[in-house]
Amino acid sequence: MSTPKEVLSQKKLKAKEELSAAGFFKPLKIYVGSATCENAAGAKEIMKIFETQAGKKDCRDFYLSKKGCVGRCNLEPTVEVYEEGKKTVLYVKVNEKEAEKIIDKHIKVGK
Amino acid sequence: MPAMSVSEKFKKVFLDDKYSVGQERVALRNVGLIDPENIYDYIYNARGYQALAEVLTDMKPEDVVEAVKKSGLRGRGGAGFPTGMKWEFTAKEKSLEKYVVCNADEGDPGAFMDRSAIEGDPHSILEGMLIGGYAVGAQKGIVYIRAEYPLAVERLEKAFCAARKEGFLGENILGSDFSFDVEIRLGAGAFVCGEETALINSIEGKRGMPRPRPPFPASNGVFGKPTLVNNVETWANIGAIFLDGADSFAALGTEKSKGTKVFALAGKINNTGLFEVPMGTTLKEIVYEIGGGIPNGKKLKSVQTGGPSGGCLTEKFLETKIDYESLAAAGSIMGSGGMIVIDEDSCMVNIAKYFLEFTKSESCGKCVPCREGTTRIYETLTRITEGQGEEGDIEKLELLGEIIKKSSLCGLGQSAPNPLLSSIKNFRKEYEEHIYLKRCRAKVCEKLVDYVINDNCVGCGACRRVCPATAIDGTVKAKHYIYSAKCIKCARCFKTCKFNAVVKETGLPE
Repeated sequence: MSTPKEVLSQKKLKAKEELSAAGFFKPLKIYVGSATCENAAGAKEIMKIFETQAGKKDCRDFYLSKKGCVGRCNLEPTVEVYEEGKKTVLYVKVNEKEAEKIIDKHIKVGK
Repeated sequence: MPAMSVSEKFKKVFLDDKYSVGQERVALRNVGLIDPENIYDYIYNARGYQALAEVLTDMKPEDVVEAVKKSGLRGRGGAGFPTGMKWEFTAKEKSLEKYVVCNADEGDPGAFMDRSAIEGDPHSILEGMLIGGYAVGAQKGIVYIRAEYPLAVERLEKAFCAARKEGFLGENILGSDFSFDVEIRLGAGAFVCGEETALINSIEGKRGMPRPRPPFPASNGVFGKPTLVNNVETWANIGAIFLDGADSFAALGTEKSKGTKVFALAGKINNTGLFEVPMGTTLKEIVYEIGGGIPNGKKLKSVQTGGPSGGCLTEKFLETKIDYESLAAAGSIMGSGGMIVIDEDSCMVNIAKYFLEFTKSESCGKCVPCREGTTRIYETLTRITEGQGEEGDIEKLELLGEIIKKSSLCGLGQSAPNPLLSSIKNFRKEYEEHIYLKRCRAKVCEKLVDYVINDNCVGCGACRRVCPATAIDGTVKAKHYIYSAKCIKCARCFKTCKFNAVVKETGLPE
């Protein structure tokens, strides 16, 4: 019989597959802070803006995900952009205009 | 896996300023780094359920309790009772049925540590509870959370469903003999239900009122069964103890208070927010480095810790190293982690009144000292702030406060006078000015200041028309003036004026 540790390592492999299927290993990842506090500051709308960009022709493929609140209440909503080989960028106080800028800078092809 | 600690990972992402440098993330190790609604993210990227698997594979329940004791972890709900001891008491009870409970009834005004922990990383809480259930021999877990946290409840439910699907909850978890399941109980948001015996009553469907202790929940808890109640943050720390070892957990913090503490920083501070620092960090570091100082160049007056159960500390405690003992010695408490920064524009009598108003209305009414006492304190403070203070009030308040502390049934009453007593101790002069001189230094108490019209006045007459005492005179387009003898200090002129021409004056020497 396998030990709980072994069972977990099996599950870890499965988790990797599941994440990969969800697109987690794409080179571009965007995290939108979405705890109650961030939602109150408007994170839900920001999330929608990014959602509508997914799959568009002139856009790079990216992985979009929620994350918890990092604790910067006065700077919410926050958006993190992970790009392979580049420094992670944290955008704060993101409004609709700012979100468009992020899309232009990181997501649009050829920028 | 690379040998990068979670705190390092956190700093790498958020190394933008002083805010993140002093922090050490243990309880919030994954918050803000993983997707809280995706169990695979937790398993693959955050060493998820690894602590549980190790415990189930290599450790006997006694060893788990021993490890928690060795870590020196103390209850993060505020009172600071050694967690390992609590686990040991529950584990030693002989009963076929036992419960572990997660206390997520976070009620302090301005505190949101538990909400953030659950919303950002629900699986860590669940993993902690699983380890706790294994250690004490419980089969059933209950998360008691307030209904005001809909998103936290939703994420917990999602997490439990995913965990059930993946075999982390239910029968024979990860192929072991250990079976465990959890359920959520929603609370209606009564402050007193954060007290463990009141919480147990509420879970049982009874009115949320505390019971006398002993018997402690460890022997007689939910439905009369041995029950282990821990706070959200305590549960979140458990995983870290087993992932990185009890020794490395105990290496953080001070001699008697190990590990880290999450605080919610609010009030007159530049960086409001949530942060986690090692025990032993000074108030100064928190206010001026992590908090970024006081806005608008104002002076720090006080730091209030522990919410309505805590006290107001002054500048002289800035060098105080924060742990359970030092905060208690300074007249406050650690509490669950609310920290409110107060600048010179706030009146300490008014702040004490605010907290007493809160505890007065949240008192469950079961015991007389708390029910009647907090009401009397609130009435007296209201009188003082309205200019009706009498000689001897301070002494009466002190006596009443001490009586309530000594004779109340539960923690709510025992700590309710803390904001009052600590503000009298540290700001006695301000109370005396209110009572004897009928003056409010911070210009907060409306009845205790003078209203005067300055040169900003354009003579619009708005203040003259709203004054119910006809105390304001003046002709159109000329500067108006207030007859102080007729003024009843209703502050209507102050609120009406659009030109900042009506100002409050304390009449006190600087």
